[in-house]
Amino acid sequence: MSEARDEQLELMIGRVLKTGVFASGICLVIGLALLYVPGGARAAGILINVGLIILMTTPATRVVVSVYEYMRERDWLFVVLTTIVLVSLLGSLLVGLLT
Amino acid sequence: MPVATPLFQALTFLAGAVAGLLGALLGIGGGVFLVPFLNLGLHFPYQSAAAISLTTVIATSSSVSAARSGRHLINMRLGMTLEVATATGAILGGITAQELSQSTLQLLFGIVTALTAFAMLRRIGRRNVILDPNAPLGRLGGRYFEDESGGMVSYQVKRLPLGLGASFIAGNISSLLGIGGGVVKVPVLNAWCGVPMRAAAATSAFMIGVTATAGAVIYYGHGQLIAALAAAAVIGVQVGSWGGIKLSTKVKARWLKLLMAVVLLIVSALMIAKGM
Repeated sequence: MSEARDEQLELMIGRVLKTGVFASGICLVIGLALLYVPGGARAAGILINVGLIILMTTPATRVVVSVYEYMRERDWLFVVLTTIVLVSLLGSLLVGLLT
Repeated sequence: MPVATPLFQALTFLAGAVAGLLGALLGIGGGVFLVPFLNLGLHFPYQSAAAISLTTVIATSSSVSAARSGRHLINMRLGMTLEVATATGAILGGITAQELSQSTLQLLFGIVTALTAFAMLRRIGRRNVILDPNAPLGRLGGRYFEDESGGMVSYQVKRLPLGLGASFIAGNISSLLGIGGGVVKVPVLNAWCGVPMRAAAATSAFMIGVTATAGAVIYYGHGQLIAALAAAAVIGVQVGSWGGIKLSTKVKARWLKLLMAVVLLIVSALMIAKGM
């Protein structure tokens, strides 16, 4: 196990999280502001939902990045573990949509 | 379902800001403050309050972990191992939450809040022990530089099955109650699995994003998440925790923790009384 590679993954994940928080924050702030602009309700609704979806996709994205990185490292145990987490997240999406 | 009126938006934003501020100062998630405010204060149905709170939990986890990345405080391998248990627990919790009555959820929340208060009281005045920096790390161990003691801390992870069990329960109550679940994981990781407090807290905060997402997605899919109020709460929490981090160097955590433990016990009593 190489500590240098783990550090690289940590920094990559940090960037994914930062980008997600920033992007969703912008959508949410603009969306909320549009609620108070005449005729802006429709756009506001879309932007707010996009912001929330980006927010919920951010942790999932960092799991995808981890699966990919562990694959490159050929660390199969962690490929399996992170894939299970990813499948669970998709499972919860299905539960939410289908039940 | 409550409607996102401007008044509700403003109140949710403010509640989020206060929850984020306290959360950052106390080193706990803000959910324990936000859920009772929305449920008891604004009379939102429990599930709506939990759904809004979970979205703020995701935001806090992501921004806190982004800020910490590169400092080795977060034990990624341990976190990703335990996430298998929290994510599964969260899905089951999300499904169960649909079946449980409002009063059962309130009772459960009251119990968990009381536990949070006691955990906080126990942590007051406790310092980390410096462990042998050259000890072998094992497959899941970690090593990081600790600011307070000015030395390297390294540790091995012990009793992994216990950690997995605690994570499963944490995931379960997270989506059931709308909180992060750190209150269950952190003490177990620290006391039984040999993970130092700071690393346990950072790793837990990291995992919580995935846990809360598994729960939040279920509420979102069921149409129980009021988007505009969730947005107001998320922005509020982000602003509040930013302020909390700035303030944390100036405020004496000891007294604040004592005060907040009392507040949490009152919240717990109110919730239990409401749920009975």
